[in-house]
Amino acid sequence: MNLTTALARLLVFPGVLFAVPFAWFFLWVERKAVARMQGRIGPPFMQPFLDFIKLLGKDTPVRGGAGGLLMRAWPLLAVSAAAGAVGLLPVLPSSGGFEGDLILLLALLEVPSMCIIAAGFSSRSIFGEIGSAREAVLSVAYNVVFLLAIVSIAASQHTFRLETLAQLPPSFLRYLGIAAILVCLPAKLHLNPFSLPNAEQEIYSGPMTEYAGPELAMWELSHGLEWVAATGLVATLAAPHISLAWLAALLFVALSFVVVLLLSVLAAATARLAIDTTVRFYWQCTLIFAVLAISSALFMRFRS
Amino acid sequence: MNILTMLWKNLLGGSRTILFPARPKVSARYRGLVRFDPALCTGCAICRFRCTARAIEFKAGKGEFTWSYDPGHCTFCGRCVEGCKSHAISQDPACPPVYLNIGELKNSYTVARKPPAPKPAQAAPPAASGQTADPATEVRNERS
Amino acid sequence: MNLWNKLMCYSRRRSPWIFHMNSGSCNGCDIELVASLSPRYDAEQLGVRLEGSPRHADILCITGPVTRNSVQAVKTVYGQVCGPKAVVAIGSCPATTNVFIDSRTLDGPLDRHLPVDVFVPGCPPRPDAILQGVAKAAQILADRAANKAPVVSVLLPLAEPECACSCAQADKAAAPACEVKP
Repeated sequence: MNLTTALARLLVFPGVLFAVPFAWFFLWVERKAVARMQGRIGPPFMQPFLDFIKLLGKDTPVRGGAGGLLMRAWPLLAVSAAAGAVGLLPVLPSSGGFEGDLILLLALLEVPSMCIIAAGFSSRSIFGEIGSAREAVLSVAYNVVFLLAIVSIAASQHTFRLETLAQLPPSFLRYLGIAAILVCLPAKLHLNPFSLPNAEQEIYSGPMTEYAGPELAMWELSHGLEWVAATGLVATLAAPHISLAWLAALLFVALSFVVVLLLSVLAAATARLAIDTTVRFYWQCTLIFAVLAISSALFMRFRS
Repeated sequence: MNILTMLWKNLLGGSRTILFPARPKVSARYRGLVRFDPALCTGCAICRFRCTARAIEFKAGKGEFTWSYDPGHCTFCGRCVEGCKSHAISQDPACPPVYLNIGELKNSYTVARKPPAPKPAQAAPPAASGQTADPATEVRNERS
Repeated sequence: MNLWNKLMCYSRRRSPWIFHMNSGSCNGCDIELVASLSPRYDAEQLGVRLEGSPRHADILCITGPVTRNSVQAVKTVYGQVCGPKAVVAIGSCPATTNVFIDSRTLDGPLDRHLPVDVFVPGCPPRPDAILQGVAKAAQILADRAANKAPVVSVLLPLAEPECACSCAQADKAAAPACEVKP
């Protein structure tokens, strides 16, 4: 993958230029779908964009010293990592890539939640610390399942390259892995029933309590980009290989949209679970399937 | 699967939201803004005495009085309406509007005092002293 | 007024995020406030979000007649709300202390401590009246943005003193000390 392709993927499609409006669109879809399912009207179409603009115009509180600098850095890091993750997605058929870019994608997908955890602690607010601790516990719980699922998919198809994975015909094990990833997505995207770090009435805004203005706008944007990256990962893994570029892009958009709707139904249908129930769900229920998936992948690998 | 049925019904049935800035109608018995009728008011100021929130103010002048009401103070309890003997006060089924400055909603009325009603013609002198015309003792006698 | 300013005014009117604070209220107004988030009245159709942290909100919705125990908290939270901000006094208690007038436990009404922009009367006010009050406050924020000189504050750390504004007679149109001067 040469520099121009990389820059085009990062900045244009499916990178920043495409992903940022798409992130706002997905945020709107989720809010609107949840509202309609609750019998309400919900926000108008431009709402996430207008929220972003309004936040850019607000003041930030004075923060001195290294702590203040760190607090300003975390949202920027989260946005860059999420944008990079979106840029790595193999949407177009001839998008190039490199060996091991699946691992880079996973790492970049992890960075926003790491930034949230760090931000909560560096804000030196008690609510931030509690929220970050919850996010950390949640992250450990779902990440084991998430990573095992991805690794089992990659091991079963003998490749860690996203483009190859997208081109190979999907196997039964891949769909199992996709199901496991779908189970982890509500926790990753802070949706009900695993929306614990955002528990507003319990811990104010958790890790985000001390953030305001443009920094908060960056956090909202990184959240939206995480939506695009996570649903896009499921879409690229689930989509069959199509050689027409525009059709592949359309299929990517459509599949991501379906995943967003599914997650919205789940968010509207459930209430927030407490931390012990959440962790128990991931460790007891889903871990067994992830372990089964990876062991069968390795078994098939060593058998062939 | 009950919750999914509910969500599906909500999606199909449309929202039950009242679109802003439309407002729902209040019922006819809603205790809202106090309405004052100066023509019926006798200036007894019982409403000011009974008002719990000091929304009603009463200032007696020479031959006239000023009655004022501030919905910003009002708690819409209705004690003034209950206490008014001449039914000059009533409550409309209406909500007070949003305002920007304190005292903006207050309205005052200056009402001229009515001249006293003419006395009826002199009645016949009371009967023989055997009968007590004192109403209080009459009541006591009835009760004992 | 250039395009960015027009966009900023429009977004301030269409994205009012509120933070709710109870300064000793009986809870009637608080219940009606959360009722305005329910499906029948749906505050989200105006873009209203009930935020968990005062730093995220634009509009501070205060109920209650400001008891002596809560005065310092009210002022602190007002200082924590980042500008540009507006204050909505919900119910007749913050405006005039209602039936608790002359009570020894109160330090109200609210505009002795904060500059209040909108008063929503009622005991308790109906949820649609509360929505009207919030929409009016959002309009006020948009009008203030229209009157200010253009400011581009994207990602630059702008200094803003964290003050607890105890401005009793603050001019509502002028910006209190917490806001950024262009």
